[in-house]
Amino acid sequence: MSLRRWWAWLALGLVVVVAVAITVWPRGGERSDVQRARDLAAELKCPECQGLSMGDSGSTTARAARADITRRIAHGESDAQIRQAYVDRYGESILLKPEAKGIGLIVWALPVGALVAAAGGLVIALRRWRREPRLHPTDADRRLVESTRSPTDQP
Amino acid sequence: MKHPARWIALTVGAVVAALAVVLALQVGNDPRAEQNKSTLVGKRAPSFDLATVSGGKVTARGLEGKAVIVNFWNSWCIPCKQEESALKTFWSRHKDDPNVAMVGIVRDDTAGDARRYARNHGMNWTIALDPGSQAALDFATRGQPETYAISPDGLITGSQYGPVSVGNLETMLASTKSTPQ
Repeated sequence: MSLRRWWAWLALGLVVVVAVAITVWPRGGERSDVQRARDLAAELKCPECQGLSMGDSGSTTARAARADITRRIAHGESDAQIRQAYVDRYGESILLKPEAKGIGLIVWALPVGALVAAAGGLVIALRRWRREPRLHPTDADRRLVESTRSPTDQP
Repeated sequence: MKHPARWIALTVGAVVAALAVVLALQVGNDPRAEQNKSTLVGKRAPSFDLATVSGGKVTARGLEGKAVIVNFWNSWCIPCKQEESALKTFWSRHKDDPNVAMVGIVRDDTAGDARRYARNHGMNWTIALDPGSQAALDFATRGQPETYAISPDGLITGSQYGPVSVGNLETMLASTKSTPQ
């Protein structure tokens, strides 16, 4: 591979790494209690609604949960403690994002596994294509093509 | 690596086989089971301290030593009306038993409507108000009606989502004297 092509791949890799880093890097600065309460409520499923979080729903339970989360934050409970309190009450199904353990791990691991497998496959395919010789038609090939063409094909 | 394609195929096959094994192991676990039964069964009942519609107070501590049936309801809920006669029949059987208590906790209703409804419909067990729905949240309710049985030592021994029958209530009461159902 020429040096120029290497630079192109390197630049592409750099762009991908920077984009991923910007996406997954934790946002700086302390979150306010209001923001924490909002984030936690958004993680919990409203048990009496269809597909709504505690943060989005206007139901009795959701309103009570939002007040409860705010109260717990004021009492100094951590996000993990608050999340666990709701799992203890309602079970794992209260979490909108499955936890990365047990069967829930599949949800997180499978896309990563698929991505790695796809990247591996792509690398192997690219190498194989590069190894394959470029074929040039020989005189015999040209004669064969000419012989199969009908007179009407002639320009 | 001599045959990379073969290795990839083997790896993918192994992953698919592992996934199949994991899913097969989960076949016995009904994902809806959690939806049909409270996860609080077998755990300590939440504490509550509520005002009653008759101007009194009812607390979890005050009910210690008794088998308690807690029913979440409200005046506008149709399934709550459906179970009303079962609650009345059950309570008429046990109201004289000093070791049994029944508390109806109003979930998502105004105090006035709940008070009026309870009076007009002859609901003569303790009816408590839950402004802010903290008790409803502590009991992890998902709607109404919902009914819980609490043993004399404060454990939740039974739960039912939806309307109860007299049979359900008797079974739940019996559960307070044995292991959680």
